[in-house]
Order: sequence, then C-alpha cells, then structure tokens
Amino acid sequence: MHKGILATAAAVAMGVSSLAMAAGTVTFGVQAPITGKYANEGQGIEKAVKLLAKEQNAKGGLLGKQIKVQACDDEGKATQAALCARRLTNAGVFAVIGSYTSGAASAAQPIYARANVIQTSDGTADELTQRGFKTFFRNAPPNSAEAKFTGEYLVNHKHYQRIAVISDHSSFSKGLGDAVAEAIKSDGGQVLTRAYINSGSQDFTSVLTDIKSKNPDVIYFSGYYSDGGLLRSQEKQLGMNVPFVGGDANQNVAFAKIAGDAAQGSIIVNVPAPENLPYKAAKEFLAAYQKAYGEAPPSIFTLTNADGMRVVMKAVEETHSLNPKKVEAYLHQKIDKFPGITGPISFSSKGERIGSAFQAFEVQADGSYKTVYPTSASAS
Amino acid sequence: MSEFCQQLVNGLTVGGIYALIALGYTMVYGILKLINFAHGDLCVLGAFIGLTVISSLGGASGSPAVWVVGLAFVGAVVAVSCAGVLLEFTAYRPLRSAHRLSAVVSALGASMMLENGMMLIWSPQTLVFPQGSLPSISWNIHGVQVTFTQLLIIVVSLALMGALYLYVNRTRFGTAIRAAAIDQDAARLMGINVNRVIVSVFILGPALGAIGGLFIGLYYRQAVFDMGWIYGLNAFIAAIIGGIGNIPGAMLGGLLLGLFNALAAGYISSTWQEAITFGLLIAILLVRPTGILGERVAEKV
Repeated sequence: MHKGILATAAAVAMGVSSLAMAAGTVTFGVQAPITGKYANEGQGIEKAVKLLAKEQNAKGGLLGKQIKVQACDDEGKATQAALCARRLTNAGVFAVIGSYTSGAASAAQPIYARANVIQTSDGTADELTQRGFKTFFRNAPPNSAEAKFTGEYLVNHKHYQRIAVISDHSSFSKGLGDAVAEAIKSDGGQVLTRAYINSGSQDFTSVLTDIKSKNPDVIYFSGYYSDGGLLRSQEKQLGMNVPFVGGDANQNVAFAKIAGDAAQGSIIVNVPAPENLPYKAAKEFLAAYQKAYGEAPPSIFTLTNADGMRVVMKAVEETHSLNPKKVEAYLHQKIDKFPGITGPISFSSKGERIGSAFQAFEVQADGSYKTVYPTSASAS
Repeated sequence: MSEFCQQLVNGLTVGGIYALIALGYTMVYGILKLINFAHGDLCVLGAFIGLTVISSLGGASGSPAVWVVGLAFVGAVVAVSCAGVLLEFTAYRPLRSAHRLSAVVSALGASMMLENGMMLIWSPQTLVFPQGSLPSISWNIHGVQVTFTQLLIIVVSLALMGALYLYVNRTRFGTAIRAAAIDQDAARLMGINVNRVIVSVFILGPALGAIGGLFIGLYYRQAVFDMGWIYGLNAFIAAIIGGIGNIPGAMLGGLLLGLFNALAAGYISSTWQEAITFGLLIAILLVRPTGILGERVAEKV
C-alpha cells in the first residue's frame, strides 16, 4: 500500500518535472551599463532584448520554452563586469547579450567562456576576438575596419593633412584612436598630436587650447558621445573653427544636445544610422521598439545588440538545440548572410562579424544625420 | 603667449568653482574638525535643482529668460542650504560627541544616500542644460577667447569669496564663527550659541556649493548624478593646499589648483593631470604640513 502511494507520488513528480523540462524556460542574460555614463545605451540594450524575448514568447518561445531575461548592470566598468558575469552564469543563463563597452565585455569574456555561455557584444576593440574565446561573437564591426574607413575619409576624400587625434583612456577609445592614427599615416596624412582626455572630467579646454596652438586641419575624437559633445561645444567656446570628426561611439542623440549650437556640421563615422537602414528587419524592429517604449532606440548599438540576440535565437532554432557547443559551431560555420537589422550577418571562425559598411554622417541643425560619404551610399 | 593667457583663463574659471566648493569643506572642518564628504553631492544637488527650475520655467525650446536663470540660482541656494541643515541635524549632530571616525563614516553614508537619491529622482543619465541658459557672447582679446559664462563665473566667485571674507572678519556673527572654530567650550562660556553657529555654517557652505554646482552645470551645459565625487575631491584638495579650516586658504587653494590643473593638462599631459595634482599636494604638505595659509598649531603636551 505504502509502496503504491510512493510509486504514484514518484511518477507524478517525474511527470511534473519532465513537463517542466519540456515547457520550462531559457534564460538570456543582459550585461550592460544600465546606470552611469553610458546609461542610455545600456537601457536601450536591455529594452531591445526584452522586446525581442516578448515577441519570441508570443510566437511560442524558443524550442517551446519561454524566454526569460535577466539583466545585470555593469556600469561600463571592468570590475562590475566581472561581478555581473559571475552573477549571470550562476543564474544559469544560456547566452548573454553585452556589454556595451569593450573594457566591460573583455573583463567578462573568460568567465562566460569557462561557463560555456555564449556572449555577443558590440565592443569594437580588436583584441576582443583575438583572445581565442570560442563563446564570443562580435555583432559590430571592429575598430580596425572603422579606422581604415576613417583614414580614407580624412586623408583621401577630405584631403586633411594636419590631423589631431584625441582619445580617452578606455581600451575602446585608445584602441580606435591608435588604429586611426596608423591609418592616417599609411594614407599619407600627418598626425599632429596624439592627445588624451580624462573621460568624465568635463573640462577639456586645456587640451583644446594646446591643440588650437598647433593649428590642425581637423580634430578626430575616438571616445564616447558624452565627452565628444562637450569637446565640440568647448571647441566653439574657444573660438576654434576646426572641423570635428568623431568615431562611432559619438553617434547618440545626446551628442547633439550636449554640443548645442556647435553640433551642426560635426561628422560622425559609423555604420548607418538606425533610421537610414534599408532592411526590412530594421523597419519592423524600429516600429516595434517605438510602439513598445514610445521612443526611438538611443543609438545603432541598441540594434547591433538586438542582432546579437536574434542570431543566437536563429542558431538555436536551426540546430534544434540548447547545447552551446552546437550553437557556437553553427554561428561560426553555417550562418550566412542572416538578414539582420543592421545588415546581413555572418561570422568568421574567430567570432568576428563579416562585412559591414561604414558611412560618414554630418549632424544637421535639427539633430538628424545626413550621409556625406560615401556619397552614393550603398548600405549592404 | 596667447596660448598661455588662454590657459590662465581656463584655469581661473575652474579654479573659481573649486574655490566656491572648497569654502564649504573648510568652514565645516574649521568648526567641527569634520570632513563633510557629502559636500560634493550637495553641489550636484544645486546643479540639478537649478536645471529643474530652468527647464520647467524656461519653456520647451529657446533661451530661458534672465529671471528664470536668476530664480534657478535662488532655488538652488535655498534648497541646498535646507539640505545642508537637514544633513547637520540627522547625520552629524547625533554623533557630535561620538568618536570622530563615526562622523566620517556618517558623512560617507550621507554622500551615498544623496548620490543615489539624485539618481532615482533625476535619472542616471547625463542631463543637458538648455542651449542659451546664459548668453553665448564671447570676446576675442588678442587671440584669447573669453566667454560671458567664464567671466560671470570668475567675477561672481571672487565677489562671493570677498563677501564671505568680510562677513566672517567684520561682523559680530562672523566673530562668533571664528570664536567657535577656535574653542567651542570657551565660546559657549562667552555666551555664544554654538549650535546656531554650526547651523549657519551648514547654511553658508552648501549655499556657496550650490552656486558652484550650478556654475558647473551652466558652464559645461550638463550634469550627471555622480559628478560630485570628482569636484568634491578637487575642492577638498584645494582646501588642504590652502590650509584646511582657513577661509582665505580655501579661496587661494581653489584658484591655484584650477590654474595648476589647466597648465599641467595644457603643457605636460592631461593623462598625468591627476597625478600631477596629487604631486603638488604632497609637495606642499612636505614643505608646509598645514597648507599654504594654515597656521601651525602649537600643541601643549
């Protein structure tokens, strides 16, 4: 009698647990700077991932499992990033989207790799894909590709000769700045000065005054929008009439707000702006984002991270598996020109995103962007 | 030469702001022998309150009127003074007879409370001041560019520092402040209401800090909830360089630090700017342990 009850109980318990396995959930992590200097980027990434998860869940989930999203705020800092990586791996995430800054992504890499958690990031520092972590995929083009384009634009297209290159001390900004300086030299331009600012210190007038006395043709800045906007406005304050070209991290709606009047005419180099993306997936995603949150995504990086989430989901569906090894193999070898929001997506064997076109945009009086190079923009 | 003069103008502007903030540190230290670590955050509070006034009264777009900016200063000063008094009553007064370390911990806690409170109220993002809150006039004097904002900051901070100096040295209440700073018990015996003096210091210091904070916001046209740390640290260093507890010392220290920072960033390297600042601090403390204007206190053993 007793045995019978126990057996029934065991059977019921097993039935319940196997049901739970079949339905169950799969957790996606978001590691992003949700507070701090890059908060609006981080919040955009979190919103995008949650939106995609909701859409997928409405379609029946991923392999029949509902997607759960767990976010961790790394403040864009390496130490916080390592803590986030531990917290998310402990929570049993399948894949992590993030982080926004290269430094934070890089600090988290080994932890995810050891736990066999797939990571996709928009970090653009070249070394991210050169450290041999099989679990890492970059959904934005690397610094070296951007640097090559920037050198071409500055020296060959605009014929600037005397160029001041400014960076902050983050691994992203320094890496991009160095790469651009190299590209300028190899294209025959002259790097007048390789200057550094302390990100967040707000007062850049001293550095700019020094640059002003060297009389450059153009200032190139490889850092983030919050400092870039200030540099641009302080340039104007100092009465400098020198064109300003910023790297991809300057493309954020806050750049124009912070720079104020001075924003107009600034050039930013990046992959195409969200609203200029010609793809069907982009139009659908932007409309859904606008509908869900009543605002446009803060920058292109919301979209590249959304693409990271989408390729991981695609790989899971194609391989019918939540085995990270199989998903990784699919992403490395099989995925080919997947129609992403930011263009067709494929990955190299190192997890490098292949084939993205850069453009140079000019900030207009109303804060919108106009593509100025290449003049006949072919976005794919 | 024009480059050097430009660096002087840049440095004086930041130095004026440092000096305004440093006064709050030095006055509190002078009376309570306490470093008010929450002071930098009080300044940020001033910037946020000023921004809120400007953006709610200044209209959606375009330049806010002069009276709106004036009101922003008044609002920031009043609100931050109240916050300063509240801080004194809740965080410092209950611990006045406790060990000094407890008050320092309390100050750090208050700083975190303020910082995170501001993050919750005003969002963690960089907030931007409306374009044209101050007239964007600038003058070019022999290649040296001076903006209206810079001139305003330099003139107002010098005027406020002068007024504070006169108030502390020429009025009866100022004498009471100085007396309480030397010896609270003796001052009490002479009929001075020391608690009132302390409250007044927690009104004056934060009021000046609020103006400094709003100047930061208006000058750089942005404010972030966590910027109090860096300005607080610099002002604290300025107060020590000048001799902490000494009011003219804080003014001198602030201006010197601003100039020094600008010249170090312009002529050596902004990478080393902070290292150079701390180098200066160490050098001054080696030569004059009490700071430039600090008096050597003879301790009776």
